[in-house]
Amino acid sequence: MNARIRQPTVPWLVRVAAVVVALAVLVILPQQSTPYDNLQITLVAAWAVVIAGLNLLTGYAGQISLGQAAFFGIGAYTTAITALHGWPVVLSFALAFLLPATVGALVAIPAVRLRGHALAMITISLPLVAVPLAKRLDGLTGGSQGLTTPIGSAPTWSGLADDQWAYYVVLTVAAALLALAHVAVRGRTGRALSLIRTSEVAAVTTGIPVRRYKMVVFALASGYGGAGGFLYVYCVRFVSPESLDFLLGITLLCSLVVGGLRSSAGSVVAACFYVYVPNLVGDINPEKSSLIYGAVLLLVLLFAPAGIAGAARGLWRRRKLLARKLATSWPAPSTPTGYLAVAGSTETSQEENGGLTPTRSTASNPSSKTR
Amino acid sequence: MGALQQVVDGLSAGSIYAALALALVLVHRATGVVNFAQGEMGVLMAYVAWSLTSAGVPVLVAVLAAMALSFPLGVATERFLIRRFHGQDGLVIVVVTVGLLILLNGIVGAIWGYVSKPFPSLFPNEVIRLGGVAVTVEQIGNLVVLLAVVAGLQIIFLRTRFGLSLRAVADNRESSALSGLAVNRLLMAGWGMAAALGTLAACLIAPKIFLDPSMMNAVLVYSLAAAVLGGLDSPVGAVVAALVIGVAENIAGAYIDIIGTDLKIAVPLLLMVVVLLGRPQGIFGRREVVRV
Repeated sequence: MNARIRQPTVPWLVRVAAVVVALAVLVILPQQSTPYDNLQITLVAAWAVVIAGLNLLTGYAGQISLGQAAFFGIGAYTTAITALHGWPVVLSFALAFLLPATVGALVAIPAVRLRGHALAMITISLPLVAVPLAKRLDGLTGGSQGLTTPIGSAPTWSGLADDQWAYYVVLTVAAALLALAHVAVRGRTGRALSLIRTSEVAAVTTGIPVRRYKMVVFALASGYGGAGGFLYVYCVRFVSPESLDFLLGITLLCSLVVGGLRSSAGSVVAACFYVYVPNLVGDINPEKSSLIYGAVLLLVLLFAPAGIAGAARGLWRRRKLLARKLATSWPAPSTPTGYLAVAGSTETSQEENGGLTPTRSTASNPSSKTR
Repeated sequence: MGALQQVVDGLSAGSIYAALALALVLVHRATGVVNFAQGEMGVLMAYVAWSLTSAGVPVLVAVLAAMALSFPLGVATERFLIRRFHGQDGLVIVVVTVGLLILLNGIVGAIWGYVSKPFPSLFPNEVIRLGGVAVTVEQIGNLVVLLAVVAGLQIIFLRTRFGLSLRAVADNRESSALSGLAVNRLLMAGWGMAAALGTLAACLIAPKIFLDPSMMNAVLVYSLAAAVLGGLDSPVGAVVAALVIGVAENIAGAYIDIIGTDLKIAVPLLLMVVVLLGRPQGIFGRREVVRV
């Protein structure tokens, strides 16, 4: 088992090539595609930042949070309000990161002492308080009407349309933030976090300052949520209490798990899942998509617990084996159907027992179905 | 509107939170899972009850039928979903129940839509005046139903062989299995009973806040707070805590300006934070000892 974990997953050359190709496509794309498609991709980038923050907290540090929507909301409102008052964009961004990070650190003071479902119970309530709070402060937030804000228009020198400008800005910032998050959990910090996740007692005994780590990660995750809120407002130019709904916090966690915990690529996959499911359902109201979000989540948990990114990684690891399997099964031996059924059932039992059952019939029947 | 009136209103709301809190405690005691989908399961069955009433079935019969139908729903949830994740870490189980929450929310929305529907009350719409305090029959009814449920549960748990087995399984699953109890069946029964309770809570609160796919979200927070406050393994504690929370949120909403009616939900959140920090096992709960 250990050898498999240490084994490099995908060679770095392949990774670099994939990133370069993806970047090239992403740079050229907005010149060719419609404003609507550009907006969708921009939204994916914004949500990827929100989810990457959640991934730091829930994926790496193992601290479940159902309240990321609240921090997203703080960032989004901060951006909208400061932009309305004519603040420079950079200042807006800084504040949209720092304010939720501070609130996150405050929430963390009680939260770091909790874990598991206690933390989930506290964080699930955050959006439920945030929505009436946003409505209450209507002088500042525009109440339930929401706020429309002048931000993200393309400067004339760029010669770009607004959607293209927002696309480039948001994608650049998001890429930088994702890269930072990717680097932050390597090495010493990453090992400390994974020990905190697997055994807090062991982490304390090895001298890891557990509470400090948890607090920093909590603040960072909240800051990422806020930064994602900034990016969201930068391209949508609107925020309302609906954008921090109770279900949003849950949906974000679901998307993260579907995309794959503890994987930077997983956060991007998760954001695609989050943004494109409502489109597939053919409805903009996010509530109607919850059926799909929930169903896919449960299917992923049952059949691919490592998420889409994890499953893809698994496929890559076993690619040679799979290729051989496919090659051998291609000229499928013609077997009587009754025999096939029996073979099928023994196959599953073999899988469940980790391949330790005495093989009776499977050996003579190579099939692409065996892993 | 005196303080006494707020107390009466609070007790009525609290008895509904108590029903859902009891369901949460029941499930947590049996399987160690906090079922975040408990309220949403209730919503689904409350919609079933609504469909029955609009087909002409009397309310009482419709609610009882929905509660009876909830039992297999709870059983199936345990059998086909929760059991598959038995023994995995808490994070996974939380994600499973939360996923079930949004799945059920989506199912309810897809079948019945997102427009709020009025739900007929189980009780006649009458007001009784008791020394300056207006008490509705519904408020009294909620309390009576809750007390009946508590009494029923106490009889089942303390006086029947079935209840004894349930307690044994909650206490130690392995020993119960070794002494010949049908552990899996008992777990399913626990989940079934909890589902019926959740449905009862949803049907009791629906006349007040209208049927809506997301109607139980706030109630869930109140009930979680009650379960935490009373101790997740103490049914009596949960009921007492739910009544206290109901009264506290009403009084805070009426007399503390910053809270008002719209931010009442902050009350259980704050209570929950304070309790989890000061006495994580709750006021009536037993301290959990973890072996490393």
